[in-house]
Amino acid sequence: MRKTLISGFAIGLALALTGCGGGSQSSTATSSASAPAGTAAKSKVFGASGNVHARLLETGSSLIYPLMNLWVPDYQKAHSGVQITTQSTGSGTGISQAISGVAQIGASDAYMSDSQMASQKMLNIPLAISAQQVNYNLPGLNDVHLNLSGPVLAAIYSGKILYWDDAQIKAVNKQYASKLPHKAIVPIHRSDGSGDTFIFTQYLSFSTPSWKSGPGYGTTISWPAVSNGVGAHGNPGMVQSCQNTPYCVAYIGVSFLSQTNAAHLGYAALQNRDGKFVLPTPQTISAAASALVAKTPKDQRISLIYAPGPNSYPIINYEYAIVNPAQSNAQVSAALVDFLKWTVTRGNGSQYLGQVHFLPLPSGVKSLSLAQIGQIK
Amino acid sequence: MTTGLPYLQRRPAQFLFRYGFGAAALITALLMVLMLVFLVVFAFPAIKFNGWNILTGITWNIGNQYGSGVVTHNGVSAQPGASFGGLVFIFGTIITSALAMVLGVPISILVALALVYRIPRRIKPLANAAVELMAGVPSVVYGLWGLVVLVPWIGQRFGPFVTGHVGKLPVFGGEPGSGNGLLASGVILAIMVIPIMVATMRDVILAQSSSIFEASMALGSTSWQAVIRAVIPSVRSGMMASVLVALGRALGETMAVLMVSGAAVNQFPSNIFQAVNTIAAVIVSQLDSALTDASGMAQRSLAELAVVLFLITLIVNSIARAILHGADRVRESR
Amino acid sequence: MTHIKIASAASRIWWGASVLSLLAVIGVLLFIFFFVVAQGVPAFRPELFTTVTNGVAGGLANAISGTLLLVVLGVALVGIVGFGTAAWTVEFASPQQRTAIRFCVDVLAGVPSIVVGYFLYVALVEDLGWGFSLIAGAFALAIIMLPYVVRAADLALSAVPRELREAAVALGSREATAFFKVALPWAAPGVLTGLLLATGIGLGETAPLIYTAGWSNYMPSLALTHSPVGYLTYVVWTFISQPFAQSHQLAYAAAALLMLFIFITNLVSRTALEAWGAQRHR
Repeated sequence: MRKTLISGFAIGLALALTGCGGGSQSSTATSSASAPAGTAAKSKVFGASGNVHARLLETGSSLIYPLMNLWVPDYQKAHSGVQITTQSTGSGTGISQAISGVAQIGASDAYMSDSQMASQKMLNIPLAISAQQVNYNLPGLNDVHLNLSGPVLAAIYSGKILYWDDAQIKAVNKQYASKLPHKAIVPIHRSDGSGDTFIFTQYLSFSTPSWKSGPGYGTTISWPAVSNGVGAHGNPGMVQSCQNTPYCVAYIGVSFLSQTNAAHLGYAALQNRDGKFVLPTPQTISAAASALVAKTPKDQRISLIYAPGPNSYPIINYEYAIVNPAQSNAQVSAALVDFLKWTVTRGNGSQYLGQVHFLPLPSGVKSLSLAQIGQIK
Repeated sequence: MTTGLPYLQRRPAQFLFRYGFGAAALITALLMVLMLVFLVVFAFPAIKFNGWNILTGITWNIGNQYGSGVVTHNGVSAQPGASFGGLVFIFGTIITSALAMVLGVPISILVALALVYRIPRRIKPLANAAVELMAGVPSVVYGLWGLVVLVPWIGQRFGPFVTGHVGKLPVFGGEPGSGNGLLASGVILAIMVIPIMVATMRDVILAQSSSIFEASMALGSTSWQAVIRAVIPSVRSGMMASVLVALGRALGETMAVLMVSGAAVNQFPSNIFQAVNTIAAVIVSQLDSALTDASGMAQRSLAELAVVLFLITLIVNSIARAILHGADRVRESR
Repeated sequence: MTHIKIASAASRIWWGASVLSLLAVIGVLLFIFFFVVAQGVPAFRPELFTTVTNGVAGGLANAISGTLLLVVLGVALVGIVGFGTAAWTVEFASPQQRTAIRFCVDVLAGVPSIVVGYFLYVALVEDLGWGFSLIAGAFALAIIMLPYVVRAADLALSAVPRELREAAVALGSREATAFFKVALPWAAPGVLTGLLLATGIGLGETAPLIYTAGWSNYMPSLALTHSPVGYLTYVVWTFISQPFAQSHQLAYAAAALLMLFIFITNLVSRTALEAWGAQRHR
């Protein structure tokens, strides 16, 4: 008897849900035309108001994720009819889900490759300029900035340099040579499809011919076997992993610089193309940007890695929104265009970018981005 | 079980009863077939491309996405440099599950016996509830605890302690690692499967009538001997079934392992503290990367790995079944 | 004589070990539980239940509703199919069919949840165009829970004493009646244990939901398709690695809530089971 009641209730609930679902379903867009009254009332209770006419999904890069979480709340205060969900899943997912259409904005630190563009024509729209630092956890040396170069990092990540007191590391760190411990290095890499991996491995490829012809660069590469090597998930995973592992080295996006500092991780001065060791500061990032942004093509797919100039920081990049120019729903399209325009104008203000140590787009690049946004229908 | 008379079968309620349930069973069977067929069909180009490399190769390389040209095997092409070797993941799957079973099965038997025979009647419901509760804890919560408590403990205390004392011994000596690795994965998996095994073992032992226990005691055995030599062998199939359920869960466990395994690629662990990777975990961590492969071969190779995992589970089940069947036959022939 | 003394001593030692193991296992559970709750306590304000997640902070309203919706729908789907399968296996299947079905169920149990998720991602989310949705997530949960429900129901129904059924039919009842009125009540506790186990597993799934339900920072819209749903396990999985204190608190709070839901489900079913059991032994 009881069981019949329970199963009856369950079936009834399922049917009720089906009924509700059938009523509010729209055709093929990944958004609803208008939410049923019940939901609108519920939204009122929870802080939003009015009818939701567009839902956007932004997924991808963990580098830009903190910035997205600063942008979206402010944007939604002014535009309550749009619901934007942000997700930190890695640039690889950003690209693939934007291509497959389940996400409207695929955030990626990496631009799409030619073969990916050939499979689906997408817009790679820079929203800001970001950078990446190389962190390490050396008890006693986390307050100073060690010098590291592309070839040295390449050797660490291919297992050719095993200990922190290796001759090659000492050679570029004469000041701290005696303080470097004889401990095994733990190189941490990203296990997910990552734009950070892309820009880091580009730095290694551009600076070290043996890395270029070996593992090469990409959002995912085949990492050489290193005895202590560990994979971490997302930028936050990198921070956590390095924090818990003495003698680690990890490449982490600059939007997490405050967190790595709070975690007492040191960060390195990287050797740029001119041979100088520079720290990631607004000046050095800006110097690198000014050397290369003029070369940005119309489709804006360009690498800003290893820029020339004595003051240039070698690992900087555009933060891309990978977007399909052909959206399936007019309201979604309009909301998307409006949001993207907002990010490259209002969103590029220092009150947002300053918190994540990013740089705003130079005006020439901004116009190119706006032009690409204009192509979204 | 059909002791019914023929005319009963023609009543509508009977019809619904028989064929309604039959439909449900059909759905279950179809589901398994559908998923298997889908996976194999989807993975087929990868099967052609990879050949035996999927089982013997150590390097997992989705190829240079930013390079030009293609590499082709058996008429199927992928990005230059692509090579999908799954040996590291197969090894990791087997060894983490094995470790989990080695740690988990003896403990589970002991705990189940304690629950049935030793716990005072008043506390029994509480103890049973506690164990069932553990079986319900989500794998991410175990992974969370593992990440925040177990991994730092292994990486900063246990690992250095052990490697410091055993030096260069295999398996236990060498580098202490970061805490993320084989030991953490095995322990977390063991903690996860123990409650499942205990709950079912306890049920199975309880369901066994007490006459076997009493008969054994009457013949002069100690209570422990009665349990180990009489009761448990009499419920062996139930025990085996519960171990199999647990093994299936361990082989396919994704999230907890993902959070503590260290996500090894292209290398084997040199001791229990080094990073590993299992097929299930690698599918999650590599799936989004695979989706960026314009040639699609990376996705299909992951699907191929899923088929391999299917096969591993199948083989394990068949061996266990054969053992059970053989043991039953021996017992009956006595 | 010594032989007996050794055996007795061994017996005592082994029983001691078994009790110790039990205490250790329960000790680990308590450790995990209190650890999670203690870390999540700062997040337990009323706003936790009324606000939605906002990137990496906020509340858990959307995740809680999403989890409940997904699990209820999933259990509804699996309960029907799973019980039906087990019932058919025990009642009507020939020995070969029985082996075949049990084999299918064993195989299904071995499918990693991510494979189910990926399969549904390609089939439902992409090919059928449903997008990240409630129904895709519910299907994922149902498929994952199925083997557990079937196995438990199978075991429970098989354990029904033959004499009971035969007596019922001998007294003139139809088979369906014999099944529902005699066998089923006897097997009910076992079936419920299976559903309970499955619900717990469903509450805790993450990987397949990532690819079927997706994730949403907003309350579920009750639309079956085209609308991603948030769920508590996602919060635990992602927020713990965000380097912000509020995120960690939310992750622990979500974990504590999950454990609480499982505890409640357990409690409810136990009291129901005991009432049933008491009825039976009258």
